[in-house]
Amino acid sequence: MSHGEHASVLDDPQGPPHVHHMDPPTAYHAAKFGMWLFLATELLLFGVMFAAFAIFRWKYFEEFHKASKHLNWKLGAANTAVLLTSSYFAAMAVDHAQHGRNKKVLSSLLITIGCAVGFLVIKTIEYSEKYHHGYFPGGENFHEYKTFLPLYFCMTGIHALHVIIGMVLLGWVASLAAKNRFSERYYTPVEVGALYWHLVDLIWIYLFPLLYLVG
Amino acid sequence: MFRYLPEQASDFAHSVDSINNLITDISVFFTVLIVGAMIYFAIRYRKKGGVDHETPRIEGSHFLEVVWTVVPTLICIWVAIIGVYGFRTMREVPADALEINVVGRQWNWTFKYANGKRTADEFVVPVGKPIKLVITSEDVLHSFFVPAMRTKVDAVPGQYTYQWFRPIKTGDFQVFCTEYCGTAHSAMLAKVRVVSEAEFERWVSDTGRVQSPAEQGEALVKLNACGSCHSVDGSAIVGPTFLKLYGRKGDFDDGQQYVADENYIKESILNPQAHVVKGYPHPSPMPAFEGRLSDEDISNIIAYMKSLNEAPKVVVKKPEIDLASMTPADRGKKHYQEKLCIGCHSLDGSRVVGPSFKGLYGREAKFADGTQYKADDSYITESILKPNAHVVEGYPSPSPMPVYEGQLSDDQIKDIIEFIKTVK
Amino acid sequence: MTAVSATATEGSNTNYINCERGIWSWLTTVDHKRIALMYLFTLTLFFFAGGIAALAVRTELAFPGGQIMSADTYNRWFTAHGVIMIFLFIVPGIPAVMGNFLLPLMIGAYDVAFPKLNLLSLYVYWLGSLMALVSLGIHPVDTGWTFYAPYSIKTGSAVVWMTGAAFVLGFSSILTGLNFIVTIHKLRCPGMTWLRLPVFVWALYATSAIQVLATPVVGMTLMLLIFERAFGVCVFNPTCGGDPVLYEHFFWFYSHPVVYIMVLPAFGVIGEILPVFSRKPLFGYKAVVISSVGIAAVGFVVWAHHMLVSGISDFSAQFFSIATFLVAIPTAVKVFNWVSTMYKGSISFSTPMLYAMSFVFLFMIAGTTGIYLAAVAVDVFYHDTYFVVAHFHYTIQGGAVIGLIAALHYWFPKMFGRMYNDLVSRVAWFLVMLGFNLTFLPQFVLGMQGMPRRYYDYLPQFANLHLASTIGAYINAFGYSLAILNLFWAMAFSKKLAPKNPYDALGLEWRTQSPPIKDNFDVIPTVDDGPYAYGKPVATSH
Repeated sequence: MSHGEHASVLDDPQGPPHVHHMDPPTAYHAAKFGMWLFLATELLLFGVMFAAFAIFRWKYFEEFHKASKHLNWKLGAANTAVLLTSSYFAAMAVDHAQHGRNKKVLSSLLITIGCAVGFLVIKTIEYSEKYHHGYFPGGENFHEYKTFLPLYFCMTGIHALHVIIGMVLLGWVASLAAKNRFSERYYTPVEVGALYWHLVDLIWIYLFPLLYLVG
Repeated sequence: MFRYLPEQASDFAHSVDSINNLITDISVFFTVLIVGAMIYFAIRYRKKGGVDHETPRIEGSHFLEVVWTVVPTLICIWVAIIGVYGFRTMREVPADALEINVVGRQWNWTFKYANGKRTADEFVVPVGKPIKLVITSEDVLHSFFVPAMRTKVDAVPGQYTYQWFRPIKTGDFQVFCTEYCGTAHSAMLAKVRVVSEAEFERWVSDTGRVQSPAEQGEALVKLNACGSCHSVDGSAIVGPTFLKLYGRKGDFDDGQQYVADENYIKESILNPQAHVVKGYPHPSPMPAFEGRLSDEDISNIIAYMKSLNEAPKVVVKKPEIDLASMTPADRGKKHYQEKLCIGCHSLDGSRVVGPSFKGLYGREAKFADGTQYKADDSYITESILKPNAHVVEGYPSPSPMPVYEGQLSDDQIKDIIEFIKTVK
Repeated sequence: MTAVSATATEGSNTNYINCERGIWSWLTTVDHKRIALMYLFTLTLFFFAGGIAALAVRTELAFPGGQIMSADTYNRWFTAHGVIMIFLFIVPGIPAVMGNFLLPLMIGAYDVAFPKLNLLSLYVYWLGSLMALVSLGIHPVDTGWTFYAPYSIKTGSAVVWMTGAAFVLGFSSILTGLNFIVTIHKLRCPGMTWLRLPVFVWALYATSAIQVLATPVVGMTLMLLIFERAFGVCVFNPTCGGDPVLYEHFFWFYSHPVVYIMVLPAFGVIGEILPVFSRKPLFGYKAVVISSVGIAAVGFVVWAHHMLVSGISDFSAQFFSIATFLVAIPTAVKVFNWVSTMYKGSISFSTPMLYAMSFVFLFMIAGTTGIYLAAVAVDVFYHDTYFVVAHFHYTIQGGAVIGLIAALHYWFPKMFGRMYNDLVSRVAWFLVMLGFNLTFLPQFVLGMQGMPRRYYDYLPQFANLHLASTIGAYINAFGYSLAILNLFWAMAFSKKLAPKNPYDALGLEWRTQSPPIKDNFDVIPTVDDGPYAYGKPVATSH
């Protein structure tokens, strides 16, 4: 015998979707727990690169020190500010969702995504600076910092990829807000999406000083 | 128990083996105990008459849990500590150790002594003295394993590792490469010869003996592992054989003609990519020796090659087999293995580099230029003697197959054809 | 209402297999049981593929000298064997098949926490497997399943496809683990406290923790290897300042815990089978649970025992050696508890019980030979010899694979509502035992004699043992084929319908219909005791 699988959106269009094998509180806590576990995997993923960076910095201190000076710390700081702002608005979106203020959820998330775009623009400027000075893989000066630069591009590149993933995720959540989906009874996607976004921000908070400042 | 370990040729081999045997005793004891108990319980408490008898709902025993946690822990700590002490002995090198540099490369080992003497494939040490091997690799990971000494350490490119041992008896002992390193990993063998101190002194100071240029050239060829790809007995490996190479005339793959004189040989050593002989792999997989061999080294190597023009060097690696008593197909199979056709042509239908020999004889198909062919005696003969005359559709062109003209007699080719006929 | 009686008409009721028809309903299902079966079919295919690779390797090694292939081809075959067996078969292994099928049933839930994510795991697994097959088709990898740098950077074979496949497969593993952890935390039925969970569930829990924490590390490492090949990035390549030993550290940080992903679920299976066929509670339930979690935890700090001769510092070598001894202890505790379960029991010898008892024997050999490798002075000798090959086949095949086969036989009536041919299953068991031991016991001796591994050719003194090993391999292959075909034949054609609970076992999965209905239970059950309350209560309890 089936237990009714379709979301009974008709009963309560702003309530939790009917998941046939979990009641709403369980579904909410399960989703959050699942996201926390996923964030743990992301930490370990980046952990490999952080470990490699630490080891090579210890081994090739001179090269890393010099290379880090070539990085534009002002752009890096700008990016940090941009991401912190985006995280602030993501957190605001959660608060708005918990109170059913769907329009404000939408605007907050749009600002978050806007900040993310800003981040990517600044990143592109940085990368193209590198490209013009020949520090790109295959460029003529790449070998000057042949241990630092690969790690730099891997770490910032994969981080940027996660920024894009986060933008897509939050974009989907924003589209739900545009349809007035959230209320104090149901805001799980906003919370879970914001959690992911905070991790993306957190990783940058570690990357920036490590790559740009400490060097 | 289980005396399968090799002979003990170093002074700490005995202690390594005693740890090994201790672990064996403990393992056998516990395995017999546990498995024995299990079998005993299975029989003693088996269900009888198809009906379960009453069983007690025993859930556990704190006492037993403590006992069988503490006892194995103590045993493990004990064995671990013994293992650690044994290990320390194997890592603390005596101050007066004789140092030898070892270099692994695909696919041989070379050795260099403090006085500059260099050898390949085999190295000599005096009995009773501590020997320290300082090891590295030129390319990929290898590992230097001397079972009789109970030592092993990886050869890591870009780093140096070491192992040491004190040989306690004279003799020849096997060395294996024991970190997978590609095609000829299992052929990357070496030997350590342990001799008396006096004999060692005589051997190691033998660097000053004036060798003829050809002898010096031969040593260089061995040292640089040229033999991985170039034979001296006429057989085809990857590159042209050195047998009767000097003065040979032929074509490059760009159509130019060449003579294998001093200038060309020198160019092909220093810059192998400059020209490739027709029928050989392009780009050439041969490493460039620019910066690694001096002009004098090269002229010694050329002297050695000239010496190979005199008489064919019969490299007897295997015991003589009575070829005459074999059937043509069996002889053909032997040629297939020894001339390394096996490297590119499978027998099971799978595609390696060239067409499989399975079902080859009599096959009708197309060349790359669209013309039809039949794999009969005359085409097979042509493709052995002149592989680049025609290339089968879908196979690499130019063909990387070595040219066997001058290296296989007509009879040998007939034997190979007979063998191919049997591969269905 | 489903029929509750244990009559032979059980199998003809509506169940998860016949409730919806058509291949599309299978491919888009979110039912954990159907997903489990789809994993089962794919895994079986890859088991046979990896087995054929094994036979190719062993056939070449039957005699010294080149037999049926060149050295290059041989190197590709042994790599294929390792990669297929590990990444495509045994790592998904028991969790993907038995875990997916049983977990919700055992904890009294309708499904796992994220059923759609479960389906995604399956799709990702199929994608990764396809990528591996592409790699094998284009230019089979010849690096060994470990992809050690710098050889893996230099070789011309399709390393990027293969390591990319492993990366994708890692995602499937992570998502499954994540799903199981949330399921176990959130979906236990009323009364199902943590200490009433079946040990198989605890085993899945420990396994899932490892999957979630360790897999990302190897994923990123393989990604760096791909960047190194594709873009010349310099991390592991010594010619530009990279460190090949760093690759080994990162690789083994995952690849040691992965062996516990393979074997912990098998431990769980044995812990389920022995009590049923001894009619006694699992002895020392808490100790078994603690040891499962302990093995998972300690398993994270022993990785460099695979690298004791790689050029790591002497201090590190000693540290990892001692830590490795520590991980042996919880395993020993488990074995003692299993055997004690049989004490004063009422033992019957069904095929699952035969496999479970064989497991104890095989794992004693596996575990004790591990001690040799943990003792660093002795590991110097045995590392990269056939001793290691024999050891890990005893743990992986004798442990994880036997666990999977035991589980398939034990839960077969529940999964398919029928019984398999008992006599054939016993003959197959015997052949597997005979073949397996004949294949690998000689390899311990080869290792003691110093024979290195991954060797295409070998010195003549090793010939007899290699021949014996090859003969064993063929018998082993035949045994497995017989066992698996017997099961598949029964799935399709057996007329012997199975009752709800053919073994009179406790445990929630046996309260359901055989095969279960789509939602497992009509109503969520309530429990008031653990699943091992066999026998007559004793006056005192310790």
